[in-house]
Amino acid sequence: MREKLARWIVILLLLVTVMGVAAAWKARSDEGILHARLPEHGGWIPGDLRATVGQPLTIRMTSDDVTHSFAVGQMDMQAVNINPGEMSEVTLNFDRPGKYTFYCTRWCGADHWRMRGTIEVSGAGMEEPVKYEPPLYLRLGLDIDAEHHAQFLPSQEPSAARGARLEHRLPQQYTSWEYYISHSPSSAWQELRNDRSLSDLSDAELWDLAAYAWAQHSPPEAVQTGAGLYKENCAACHGETGDGEGVFANELAGDTHALDGHATTTPTDFSDEEHMLGAAPAVLHGKIIRGGMGTGMPYWGPIFTDEQVWALVSYLWTYQFNFSMEVTQ
Amino acid sequence: MFAPGESRLNLARLRVLDKLIKSRWPLLLARSITLAGFVFTILVGLLGSPVGSHNFAIIFVWIAWWTALKLFFIPLGGRSWCSVCPLPMPGEWLQNGSLLTKAQKSIGLGMRWPRRLRGNWLASGLFLLIGIFSALTLTDARLTAWILLGLLGTAMLLSLIFERRAFCSYVCPIGGFTGIYAKTAPLEVRVIDSDICKSHAEKTCYTHCPWGVYPLAMRDSSQCGLCMECLRVCTYDNISLNLRPFGSDLGQTNSITRLDETLLALVMLSSALSFSAVFIGPWGWLKSAAYDVGSTAWWAYTGAYLALSLLVLPGLYTLAVWWSQKTGQAKAPFKRLLADYSQALLPLGLFTWIAFTIDFAFPKFSYVLQVLSDPFGWGWNLVGTSGVSLPSALLGAAPVLQVGAVVVGLFWSANLSQRLVAKQVQPARARRAILPLAGFSLLFSLTMLLLLLG
Amino acid sequence: MKHWKKILFWGLAISLGLVISLAPMPVKATSSNQKLFKIQASRFAFSPAVLAVNPGDQVTIELVSQDVVHGLSIDGYDLHLVADPGQTASMTFTAGQAGSYTLRCSETCGAMHPFMVGKLQVGGNDLLWRAAGLALLAVIAGVWWKRV
Repeated sequence: MREKLARWIVILLLLVTVMGVAAAWKARSDEGILHARLPEHGGWIPGDLRATVGQPLTIRMTSDDVTHSFAVGQMDMQAVNINPGEMSEVTLNFDRPGKYTFYCTRWCGADHWRMRGTIEVSGAGMEEPVKYEPPLYLRLGLDIDAEHHAQFLPSQEPSAARGARLEHRLPQQYTSWEYYISHSPSSAWQELRNDRSLSDLSDAELWDLAAYAWAQHSPPEAVQTGAGLYKENCAACHGETGDGEGVFANELAGDTHALDGHATTTPTDFSDEEHMLGAAPAVLHGKIIRGGMGTGMPYWGPIFTDEQVWALVSYLWTYQFNFSMEVTQ
Repeated sequence: MFAPGESRLNLARLRVLDKLIKSRWPLLLARSITLAGFVFTILVGLLGSPVGSHNFAIIFVWIAWWTALKLFFIPLGGRSWCSVCPLPMPGEWLQNGSLLTKAQKSIGLGMRWPRRLRGNWLASGLFLLIGIFSALTLTDARLTAWILLGLLGTAMLLSLIFERRAFCSYVCPIGGFTGIYAKTAPLEVRVIDSDICKSHAEKTCYTHCPWGVYPLAMRDSSQCGLCMECLRVCTYDNISLNLRPFGSDLGQTNSITRLDETLLALVMLSSALSFSAVFIGPWGWLKSAAYDVGSTAWWAYTGAYLALSLLVLPGLYTLAVWWSQKTGQAKAPFKRLLADYSQALLPLGLFTWIAFTIDFAFPKFSYVLQVLSDPFGWGWNLVGTSGVSLPSALLGAAPVLQVGAVVVGLFWSANLSQRLVAKQVQPARARRAILPLAGFSLLFSLTMLLLLLG
Repeated sequence: MKHWKKILFWGLAISLGLVISLAPMPVKATSSNQKLFKIQASRFAFSPAVLAVNPGDQVTIELVSQDVVHGLSIDGYDLHLVADPGQTASMTFTAGQAGSYTLRCSETCGAMHPFMVGKLQVGGNDLLWRAAGLALLAVIAGVWWKRV
């Protein structure tokens, strides 16, 4: 009798425990949780989500290792932090069908950028899906993998403010958007130098004019936006000062990559005049959206809006040009 | 209530306690609860968040339970944890065919434990094994769950093959050190009047003891699991549960040489040093080495840990004993001295582990509150403590407490060495013969202080 | 007689212990300095891990994360830094009372995160010296003390 009671107590306690855990497990499994892990441990699990236009998609997320965060590419949203052992939630609304990329915004190793997943959004949109349009560099016929050494270099940092004082001398075509995107500063300077009407200006003054022309497409707001994007997405490899000496630079200097065996090279040094002044903005734009084949440079096309990419390009010029409109000299 | 001439208080004579002790229900209930908790811990370890600091299994086993064991159960109650430990319960149920009484028929082979494997050798080995994988064990909830499951399975298996609690007595890595440190604790089960026992032919106490201990022959508390079964079955009510002075089992010269206890005591010392270096020290490369199981660095760490445990500390200790024997011209055989003098390593080790645990666990107590609210690490907040963090000002007292613990353990150890040496050598030579042993303890304590505070 | 000896022994041991624990240590007169530490945080180490400063120093810590998001907090100080790789975080504070204070990583950064620690050493490590002194005293007292 007593023995029976004892057995019942033991079994009952065990049963309650197991059933309690099972109930908790079941309640949770139904929620469908998005797990964030270091890319070498699987990245996003699951990596492909589905949604329907007009129906809000709520995602509950947790991290299994370190701090991550969630954002959808080209979407105007605040990135949501995902902390280990905690639960984060985000609700997304899609008004257009298509394939969206979601990604981690907090660096979690040299492979951080590989933490990307897709959201397949189906249903009828308010607008038609965007027609495929080849990227700018292809439309312009630029080979963004070609070497682009600047043939001419300034002797001092070109200043847009100084250039502004000579504004009236600058032929109008140099300030057009079309001219800007397709010319490297070095070639722009060369054309200015070859312009007979400007032969009285010194080499340095012409560089200032080029800086002025470039500044027309790099307004302070764009530079600021670009600086923010650079800090969050680029500085880990290219360095906080743009010198190419970011914390992961050494890892990329190794010849092959751990995850997929692709070769990598050291990140570009944006303070390198010869490299930068020889690059047309469209080339930089192309590199950002497509990535650098065989260099370890990620592709940001699905992540950044066109506006953001141009803002980044504007910011990159600040490593070569002084866009400040206050004259320091 | 006090036995004449002895500073012992028989708790079984206190009316309330007597009822609680003599009934099998309180401990049975306690163990049912710990068994359920154990199963819960395993399940959460397997199903919960892989993030250790948010998983109940990691926090409750390695922070809460470990701290309770080191700061409460062992120093105050010796093997008192063993009395509520759920590990042997399922196997014993099968073995005895009953939870409350020893049934006549039972499953299991009931073999005797092999003589060669007696003592703490296996327990020392298993503790070293856990130590080798400590960085992984302490942080990986899945592994912790598998280890707990493995211990439970081993205990069950051994119950079916061997008689009594073979697992607890000879295998359990926790039971091993709990047993040797139990000698320092102020709690014991002892025979009241030995003459009654001598004339008692049935020896019901022995036949009922799950640990296979004959109370009359008990020389210390290391093998007594405080299950109180002997108190319940003694025909003459001749067994007491005593509150006794700390360290009552220590300082005697033993008739048997127990080098297994010496080794275990040394393994516990080396593990305290190694764990302090890995978990408390600022050396990140050491943490990575201990964590990256299988890597070259990990092999180097393993080699160093094993060398420290099996060569360096035993070597230094042997040297100290040898030197002491030489200067004191002790007559006893060297092996006997090695075993006897190692008793002084017990208070040293126990208090070193207390100091380590203070530094290791105190800053992580907020995790305990957090996993109470969110055992699985699924972002729950059951009792509203998931976001709680304890004020870091509390930690200010920790270093002082650690120094206190190390100093008390060292005083105790040195004093014990002195008493042990006094039994072996002439008084005129005693002081000099203590020096090597006291020197060993001092050197160890200084190293530990350097790791904790340096 | 024996009782008298007992009192003398413990009286002596305790007063010596108190002297070792509480005796004022010579304080080096130091003017407050500016100290800059650039700490690299990687799993699971700070480098440098030990920061030696003097009470009153203006301490600036720049935290550079080398792999994942790390944080830094100091026991006894209400300070908190979070550094993402590529985004150096920095803070400045005044070192307070002498003593040892543990630096801890405050952003879960993997398995060994709870053990990612370092140390802020303000002034000399008096506690270690006092502890060593007490240890020596404990051994001597232990060897001398005989149960009466």
